[in-house]
Amino acid sequence: MDFDIKRLGFTLLGLLIVLNWGLLMSSIMRKLGARVAKRYGIRWFQPWLDLVKNYALRSQISHGIMFYLGPVFRIGGGVGLFLFMPMIIGSELWLNYSFHGDLVLLMYFQFFGMLGMALGSGEGGHPYSAIGISRGLSQFTTIEVPMTLAIISLAIQYDTLSLIDIVKAQQGGFQNWTMWTNPVATIAGMFSLLGALSHSPFNLVKAPNEIPIGPPTEYHSTFLGVLQTNAAILHVVEAALFMNLFFGGATNWFEFILKTFFIYFWSVFVGVVFPRFRIEQSVAWFLKIPLVFGVLAIILYM
Amino acid sequence: MISPIHIISIGLGTAFALGFLNKKSNGLAVSLMLVAIALMAAVSSSWFIKLYQGAEAIEVYTAGFKPPYSINLRMGLNEALLSSLINLAGFLGGLYMFKNLKNTGKHAIMVFLVFVMGLNVIILTRDAFNLFVFMEVVSIATAGLIILIQDGKSIQAGFKYMIATGIIAGIFLLGIIFAYYFSGSLNIDDISNSNLLAFKGGSVAVLMIIVSVVLELKPFPANGWALDVYEASDPGIAALISAASATAMYFVLFKLMPIADLQWYKIISTAGLITFVGSNLFGLKQTGARRLLGYSSIGQLGLLMTILGLKPFLGDKFEYIAITILISHYLAKAGLFWIAGLLKKDKLKDWALLRKKPLFLVLFGTFVFSLIGFPPFPSFFGKWELIMSLSQQGLYFTLAMILTGSFLEGIYLFRWLGYAIKMESNESWTFKLEWNKVIPPVLFGILVYLAGYYSSTFAENFNGLYFIALAFILIIYLLDFLPAAVKNILSILSLALVSWYMLPGLYSEDMLRFIFTLIFLVGGILTFIAGFAYKGKREGFYPVALLMYAGLAIIIRASTTLEFFFGWELMTAGSYFLIIRGKKSMAHGLSYMLFSMAGAYAILAAFGLSFAETASIQLSSLAAVGGNITVIFSLLAIGFMTKTASLGLHIWLPGAHAEAESDVSPMVSAILLKAGVFGLMILMIAMGNNPEATRVAYVLGWLGALTALVGNLAAAFQEDAKRLLAYSSISQLGYILFALAMMSHLGWMTAMVYSINHFLYKSILFLTIGAVVLKVGTHYMYKMGGLIKNMPLAFIAVLIGIIALAGVPPLSGFAGKWLFYNAVIDKHWYFQGVIVFFSGIIAFLYLFKLIYSVFLGQLKDNLRHVKDISIWFAIPIYILIIGLMIFSAKPDLVLKPLGEMISVWYPNAGLSWEGGLATAPYGYWNGTGVMITIGIMFMALLGWLLLLSSKAVKVGQFNIVYSAEAPQRPETTHVSYNIYAGYNKALGWMVAPKITEFWDTMSDWAHSLAEYGRRLYSGNGQVYTTYVLAYIIAFYLIMIF
Amino acid sequence: MEYVSLTIGFIVIIAGLWAIMTNRNILRMIIGFSIFDTGLHIVIVSLAYVKGGTAPILDSAVGINEAIDKIVDPVPQALVLTAIVIGLGVTALMLAYAMKLHKEKKSLDIMSFRDLKW
Repeated sequence: MDFDIKRLGFTLLGLLIVLNWGLLMSSIMRKLGARVAKRYGIRWFQPWLDLVKNYALRSQISHGIMFYLGPVFRIGGGVGLFLFMPMIIGSELWLNYSFHGDLVLLMYFQFFGMLGMALGSGEGGHPYSAIGISRGLSQFTTIEVPMTLAIISLAIQYDTLSLIDIVKAQQGGFQNWTMWTNPVATIAGMFSLLGALSHSPFNLVKAPNEIPIGPPTEYHSTFLGVLQTNAAILHVVEAALFMNLFFGGATNWFEFILKTFFIYFWSVFVGVVFPRFRIEQSVAWFLKIPLVFGVLAIILYM
Repeated sequence: MISPIHIISIGLGTAFALGFLNKKSNGLAVSLMLVAIALMAAVSSSWFIKLYQGAEAIEVYTAGFKPPYSINLRMGLNEALLSSLINLAGFLGGLYMFKNLKNTGKHAIMVFLVFVMGLNVIILTRDAFNLFVFMEVVSIATAGLIILIQDGKSIQAGFKYMIATGIIAGIFLLGIIFAYYFSGSLNIDDISNSNLLAFKGGSVAVLMIIVSVVLELKPFPANGWALDVYEASDPGIAALISAASATAMYFVLFKLMPIADLQWYKIISTAGLITFVGSNLFGLKQTGARRLLGYSSIGQLGLLMTILGLKPFLGDKFEYIAITILISHYLAKAGLFWIAGLLKKDKLKDWALLRKKPLFLVLFGTFVFSLIGFPPFPSFFGKWELIMSLSQQGLYFTLAMILTGSFLEGIYLFRWLGYAIKMESNESWTFKLEWNKVIPPVLFGILVYLAGYYSSTFAENFNGLYFIALAFILIIYLLDFLPAAVKNILSILSLALVSWYMLPGLYSEDMLRFIFTLIFLVGGILTFIAGFAYKGKREGFYPVALLMYAGLAIIIRASTTLEFFFGWELMTAGSYFLIIRGKKSMAHGLSYMLFSMAGAYAILAAFGLSFAETASIQLSSLAAVGGNITVIFSLLAIGFMTKTASLGLHIWLPGAHAEAESDVSPMVSAILLKAGVFGLMILMIAMGNNPEATRVAYVLGWLGALTALVGNLAAAFQEDAKRLLAYSSISQLGYILFALAMMSHLGWMTAMVYSINHFLYKSILFLTIGAVVLKVGTHYMYKMGGLIKNMPLAFIAVLIGIIALAGVPPLSGFAGKWLFYNAVIDKHWYFQGVIVFFSGIIAFLYLFKLIYSVFLGQLKDNLRHVKDISIWFAIPIYILIIGLMIFSAKPDLVLKPLGEMISVWYPNAGLSWEGGLATAPYGYWNGTGVMITIGIMFMALLGWLLLLSSKAVKVGQFNIVYSAEAPQRPETTHVSYNIYAGYNKALGWMVAPKITEFWDTMSDWAHSLAEYGRRLYSGNGQVYTTYVLAYIIAFYLIMIF
Repeated sequence: MEYVSLTIGFIVIIAGLWAIMTNRNILRMIIGFSIFDTGLHIVIVSLAYVKGGTAPILDSAVGINEAIDKIVDPVPQALVLTAIVIGLGVTALMLAYAMKLHKEKKSLDIMSFRDLKW
């Protein structure tokens, strides 16, 4: 494989944009959530401050090698997804390294970070971590079912598993978006997005409103900083995945930001409206209505 | 040559002469008796040798008259063989009972001699009345021998025997007289030439003659008296009754059948079939060894009767089939009764005692396997020919019933064998061995192997070279006294030699077989390396492990269905012993064996059906099957799926794999299961193009998908690490079944990639976990925890194993997932595909649980000083990891040749390659590129973190943020037990043990039926007599209608 | 009339079987067996009968040339002797068994000897 410095440069630049957009977006969303709850909320630059503080903390402890590697895996998962995700269609260089693999690679690469994180926090030895992971994994299994059905429906529709080709097929006006050409699959996918971004009602994994539990329980300082960095990237990249799949992708950064915002907003919107599920409820929920839509999406294209 | 009449004169003369001996010289009397029997044996066997070399059969006439005015004897090949067998059994039986006979006195010795002599005459004579006389002589002698042990039971049994045989003999005599009346001769040949059935009333003569001989063969249900005799008489006598008397009576029926017609053959075969199935069914409920052997003897006689009844259909195969099965029965049953006599314990569960004398355990196993018809024993080849001929004749019902009966027999015999191998035995005493009681069973044990080899030489297209492997295994068995390491080296060398011999040729000719040979044999070598970790002798391990590998190698080499089946059964036998070696494996070994047997019979039946259609046993001829393809395809698929443990046929697997020894688990999981995959591939290559087969394959696809789902879900709820891996294997094999059933280029590619991967990571995981279990002494994950610090080698191995299994890029597991997606969309199997995908994600649950509960979390106090896994386990593990990493980094190395191989069968819709980039009909993937990208990225991020957190301090175990408490007990802090409680609440209903319940219910029904049915044998001698008469009347009614 | 003895023979056989089946006393069963045996012997001899024939002895009454037509078949008569001897042996052994059975349980009822079953 020949080394292409220009591509690397563009990719890193893209990563920077995505990171900052992710941080900004999260502060906007938190603000929105606070306003709905009649609170004032954070200042818009709070995520940057948090990040700087965490990276700069002096005391750091480690529970062992795997604990140390956990955040590396986690952010590797986020960055890797970014690397294999075509960002801006129409520009060869903003496609990142997506020529190495297709949609299936993306779907399976999601697990990379998840697994590493699970192992890292597992070594932390905190019971809450393990409980959080077990919940997270449980929930994740069924979240992916409607998503898979939707993706297969798309693969049949567009006759390809290449994300680039799927986006290209949606160009030429918003009436060509999957959202219109395959609404059932889009619904199934958007249900699944709710779980993937783990806002309420699917946020028992981290239970952010109570005492800190969930996988990151034992992580602090730099480690937490890394995890927060990853969260910012990952949210944007996941939204980008849905954008590419259902909403025609993006041909420039403005379109990218607009679309990812609304996709992300969808989960926040649902989150503020609905209370949290217990884990067995959320596991079962994805096998009900979203599953029906997923199945329908395939039947329509069979 | 000495005239055969001297067999009689020696016997009678010595018996008379014994009367002149002093009362005190009983020892001399027994010795003289043995000499006499030896002389008789010498005469008959010298005739056998001569006749076998091609001499003409001779007829001997008494008093110089011709029949019908004289008695005549015939010495033909059959007669010589059978009388040699009887004299051999008589001699060894006499030797075995030396003390009994000596203590009982001269009369008993004379009776014994007359018994043997009488049986000889029954074989040799051609005169019907003479036959009657000597049947009565033998019957009286038997009644005398039954009460050698003078306890109440034997006296009762003897009386029942006398009444029943008295009546039977009377009917026989009546029949003979009528036959004489109509034919004017007593010579059997004259009678049969005179065509009795043509006379009015002649058919009654035939009825009476045939029915009484049939009754002597103890048909169900008129056989209560015989069961009692088997149970109550001295085992030495029971051995002779079962081996020698039954042989003689069977030959009588054979001799007399020519007087009857085809109708009678059918009746006989039906009567035999009912007996075979019925008595094996009742055998299920037996708890006493000797009565069980009685049921088994009667069952075998029923089978032989069926074969005789089928003679018109079997043609020139008849003698081969009858003799092989007869000899297996003769050797095995005598041997088993003799062992029963040695052990002096009648309860089946007490046979655990037997393992104190390993030689006898081996003999016991030998006899059981030869009764069931496993290779390399004669009955294997006999049953094979029988099934082939039956299906050629379209006698499907008979075929099914014979297999059913054999299966029922397998249930109780293998349960019994399991007791002997594994039943807990806390008795401190042992049993005594006397040389005269040891020689007979040992000799018969050797003979049954020799007979097996000899039988195989008659089988068409059978490569006798396979016996070299068996001979090698025998040598390893004889070297069992050596330390394990030596035997381990020998075993590795032997597998290496076979690989060396097989692999290069296959590489250029047959990629499919090459890959499976790699998995079987190289995998075998690797798992054997782990065996160095075991100290001591490891008795019995190496012969059976090699037996399994020999079977696997033969499956690969096989060019005919017979050879394939031969290998398949050897593999089953070997793996059965491997599995049952585990600590609590008695029940698992049995259920493995039963599923395997049922599967093997399905395969056998399918091979038979295919032979019926194509008249060829070449494996390639499967492709020519047209008519019955749905049935054949389904039967074969079911047979192979018992090995791949597909849903419904999987219940044997978790226990068997979980309880097996640490280095056996990978053998039976990563390697053995692939035999089923190989079988399925062979099947689909041969028949896959047929649209009817495609329909079955569609069902298989669904089955595979559901297997994958249920297997993974069940794995997520396990607490036992090895059981978890076992369920995971079930599910992985479900993927493979699914992928194979797609029968497309990509589908098969997926299946092959999964097979290779599963071999790699399941070996890694099972070896590692097995090694960990050896160190920590428990299977339960919640009793472990935090072992990463003590066992970094093991942790890394498991980490790589689970990443690969999960299919997370960049490791090779992803290759399977990626191919899978393309294959599913290409094939339009969306919903099945989604189920498989769903189950693939569920895999994360148990993989996390596995690595977390064992290596992460909190270290337990009792495990603080555990060391890392044995180096002997680490070596094969890391060799496998290297293989896995190469496959991951350069997937094209494997995928390209695979693609070429599969193109032969499925040329369309494959991968196209452009350097490392593979393009499928739907997607694209560059394994090497992904690996490099991720590698660079990971290192960069790691560097970044290292830069930022160089000051990180390593802290102690309980230094965690824990709700204002300082935890100090790992047990309360390590979350592991029932970790997926919520998931269980939501989806646990899917893995409710319904299938196990189903099989349990089936088993209950069979046992209840047996319990209910066997009450027929009320113990009342009069009732038994009634059955005898009713049987005669039933035959009469059948005849007139 | 020539079938009279044959018929009687069969009736005796059936009577013997009847006795075996209906009597629970072992000695009576053995007697039944003897009756059954006797019936057999009658049947054998009567089957050899040739209508109007004479004893199979070559003397002044029957010349060698007419023997085939005049005498009854001698073979079954020879056979029946053997059969009687065998029957005697069997009966004797049965009685010996009866004795041993009685010694064991002080009973001759066949129903008392059901230790072996199922």
